[in-house]
Amino acid sequence: MAHGPARRFFWRDRPREAPEGATALEALARDGLPALARSYRYHRPRGPFCGVGYCAGCLVRVNGVPNQRACRHVLEEGDRIRNTNGWPSARFDLFGVIDRVFPNGIDTLRGFRRPMFLTPLYQRVIRRLAGYGPVPAAPPTALSPPAPLSVDRDVVVIGAGTSGRAAAARLVARGLRPLLVDRALRVPEAPGSELLPRTNVTFLPPPTPGADPRFQLIGFQEPDRGVVVRARTVVVATGGYDAGLLFADNDRPGIFSAEGALAISASDRSRVFRRAVLVGGGERAGQILDRLSERVTAVVTPGEIRPEVVRAASDADIPLYPRTLLLGTRGTGRVRGVHLRARGSGPSFRLGCDAVILAHRRLPNPQLLFQAGAQMSWRSGTGAYYPVLDSTLSTTVARLYAVGTVAGVLSESAAVSGVRAADALAGDPSPASELPRVAESEPHELDGYYRELKPWLRSGRPVVCPCEDVLLRDVEAAHERGYLGVEVVKRYTGLGTGLCQGRYCLPDALLLLAILEGRPPSEVGFMTQRPPVVATPLEALAAIEEPVAAEASP
Amino acid sequence: MTFLRSSYSTAIVGGGILGLFTAYRLARAGAGPTLVLDRGFLSSGGAGRNGGGVRQQWETRSTVRLARESVEEFRRFGLEFGFNIWFRQGGYLFLARTPEELARLRAVHEVVRAEGLPSEMLTADGVARHLPGVAAGASVGGSYLASDGMLYPFPVVWGLFEAVRSLGVEVALGVDVRGVTRRDGRVAGVDTSQGPVRAAAVVNAAGGWSGDFSRAAGLEVPNLATRHEILATEPMKPFLDPMVVRPSDGLYFSQTMRGELVGGLTVPHPTGTQHGVPSSARFLTSMSTALVGLLPALARIRVLRSWTGFYDDTPDGFPVIGPDPRLPGFFHANGFGGHGLMLAPAASRRIAAAVLGSPVDLDPAEFSIERFLRPRAPASVERLQLG
Repeated sequence: MAHGPARRFFWRDRPREAPEGATALEALARDGLPALARSYRYHRPRGPFCGVGYCAGCLVRVNGVPNQRACRHVLEEGDRIRNTNGWPSARFDLFGVIDRVFPNGIDTLRGFRRPMFLTPLYQRVIRRLAGYGPVPAAPPTALSPPAPLSVDRDVVVIGAGTSGRAAAARLVARGLRPLLVDRALRVPEAPGSELLPRTNVTFLPPPTPGADPRFQLIGFQEPDRGVVVRARTVVVATGGYDAGLLFADNDRPGIFSAEGALAISASDRSRVFRRAVLVGGGERAGQILDRLSERVTAVVTPGEIRPEVVRAASDADIPLYPRTLLLGTRGTGRVRGVHLRARGSGPSFRLGCDAVILAHRRLPNPQLLFQAGAQMSWRSGTGAYYPVLDSTLSTTVARLYAVGTVAGVLSESAAVSGVRAADALAGDPSPASELPRVAESEPHELDGYYRELKPWLRSGRPVVCPCEDVLLRDVEAAHERGYLGVEVVKRYTGLGTGLCQGRYCLPDALLLLAILEGRPPSEVGFMTQRPPVVATPLEALAAIEEPVAAEASP
Repeated sequence: MTFLRSSYSTAIVGGGILGLFTAYRLARAGAGPTLVLDRGFLSSGGAGRNGGGVRQQWETRSTVRLARESVEEFRRFGLEFGFNIWFRQGGYLFLARTPEELARLRAVHEVVRAEGLPSEMLTADGVARHLPGVAAGASVGGSYLASDGMLYPFPVVWGLFEAVRSLGVEVALGVDVRGVTRRDGRVAGVDTSQGPVRAAAVVNAAGGWSGDFSRAAGLEVPNLATRHEILATEPMKPFLDPMVVRPSDGLYFSQTMRGELVGGLTVPHPTGTQHGVPSSARFLTSMSTALVGLLPALARIRVLRSWTGFYDDTPDGFPVIGPDPRLPGFFHANGFGGHGLMLAPAASRRIAAAVLGSPVDLDPAEFSIERFLRPRAPASVERLQLG
């Protein structure tokens, strides 16, 4: 959190203070886990989860504008922040009774059909209860709309992680001046590169053949400034994100992705959690132990555990539970404990905790590559799509490169991949002799994990899609009625159509459907990428002029 | 997969809403074995890509009648098919930007009134009552019909799919139909990616691909697949009741039961299915400009996703319904130009009647393919082609 003169803002009309540069989430989490929102259908408590602006856990109303992520909103003097859903508050919500009265969910597909004369009433009530924030009463004033940013560059690198920075630095060393774009709110300077922070590239169509060979990247700089970048060459270094996991009551406040846990406990004085159960035994879990070991009470791994994680945990006296099923969580309002069961025929047991950190799986962010028309291939080892690349990390689309995690490169080779792509696009591929290492393709360990877990998901509410409150039983019902494939089940249940764009549900839904349908995940379906990559303000898009790469007229 | 039988009475090409509805009518009428073929998965075509609008405001009385009958069917759909399609009669609001456009809306209004539906002409103030927060000067007036509305297309598909299956109709998904086989100058069946199959009648209900299919069957037709795009915003609490349509630029949008704003706008694209359905930057920016211009309070609302689909357009904007005189046994159920869902309940009844050889209460001059086979201009042109 940045430090400076205090900013005054209002949380539910009560004045608060925050350091300059703090996000609404950082400010509201200073005294513990904040209750910011209730869910879409059942008014289940929602808490911050991902910390990086993807999920719907920290939705707040900012100065009358609904559905703003508290983790992405940098506070301005006088900001008025309110909860999303929940009356009188998100912590004590009278509508929370819906979740108790309908433990098996509400069947909006087949219910509420009769008597016919009541349909307008059903519709009025359900419309009111569903959805997120109310529409603003008035148009934004004063500073709106911000002038869009429109730039032309030779090379754009999207993502300022290890591989993106390595690519940019190499380009600088070769006398080029790349534009480095990153969506993080705070990006360290990259010497020699022009840096565009807080900028989401949300749409990257393939260049139009013929007239204009340039790529045209469309996006926005937080909060709502339109951005259009034209570039001859694009290096996609969009990295990855920490995935969700299915278990009973997996949507309780206090459950965080690894990124979310790091974001919300960035300050040493953070009181959001003190005794977290860390899920995962790989590289990412090791990073969490490095940073937060004094706040981790146990390490639970779905599969095997890496020796360095074993070492780190035993150095810190943290008990380890390898090859363990996470059956569910308990607690009211927030996580107070977890139900576990050793895999095989082990016993069930409970652990007390005040948070769960999901660091078991890191998935790539390949959306822009799909949009640009790059050929992609399924890798069952991680359960994700990766671009088809040549030895210079060039995709099947000319002048489009992919490096780092999104390219399927192992993290120790991230920098190597960036350098290699930079050398190639600078027209000199020879110097980089080292080839980046790529993860092996092997059956995904989560597949076996879910096969073993599924019979145990009978109590509590396993939420397949937290954005839309889609329960496991909804997905099973779709299957039982003969709806096959992820595209159809998605349309039948609504899973994956929420605010996170399916990031936290579709990868696991794919594994689940593969088990239900008895075929490999790659056959259960292919989820088409529907732009934008992250939700983009209308105002930002409206400010962008008619795109230069006009398509052919009919 | 292979087919359960080697021979069917009817093969319906296209498992969208029109194809499934037609199969349902045929099965209910006791027609012989029916096979529905679709190249994709359920709802992969226009059935799963449209904006869900259902209106009765049209420029010809025959279309108003089909639409009115369809509205009644959609009201009862939940009772008949067991799925709640959330047909919400929030009205349809047409906006005019100029007095000339308003005069055209008035002409439609006269036709709709003549059919006994209580449509209204609105002043700019009247528009503002149905469209809260509308920018000053955004319209000079409009027309409105309260019993128009919108629904969720997906449960329409599920309800029809389950109903036809329980009536013994075979639905074959993921099967490409490559052409028609003929014998003695009439339809003998279809040629598919799973091999040939015999059928006495073939119904072309292939939506955006129906022009391709007719031509593959050796029949020249004027159907043209045109790409249209839609976007959806993040869900909000309810603020908008009607479907809003602005014919001048093809803007249309409504708020779904879930609270998202869903709508589209016409932007030029290459025609034909060979171009696929990629999204375009031009659509995202011009649709956003149009929405914010009309409802400035939406400026900071976010676009969640966008997608594209094909309209199956004809030169005069009217659908093609009924037999093709050039190939006995071949029936058209296409050319709906983005209005297949809203007219399907009534249209499918006529298509089924045509297949069964029963009388059809449609004027061939308006709906038959023959109108495009004669070297003269059609009598009237439907201009309200959007929404």
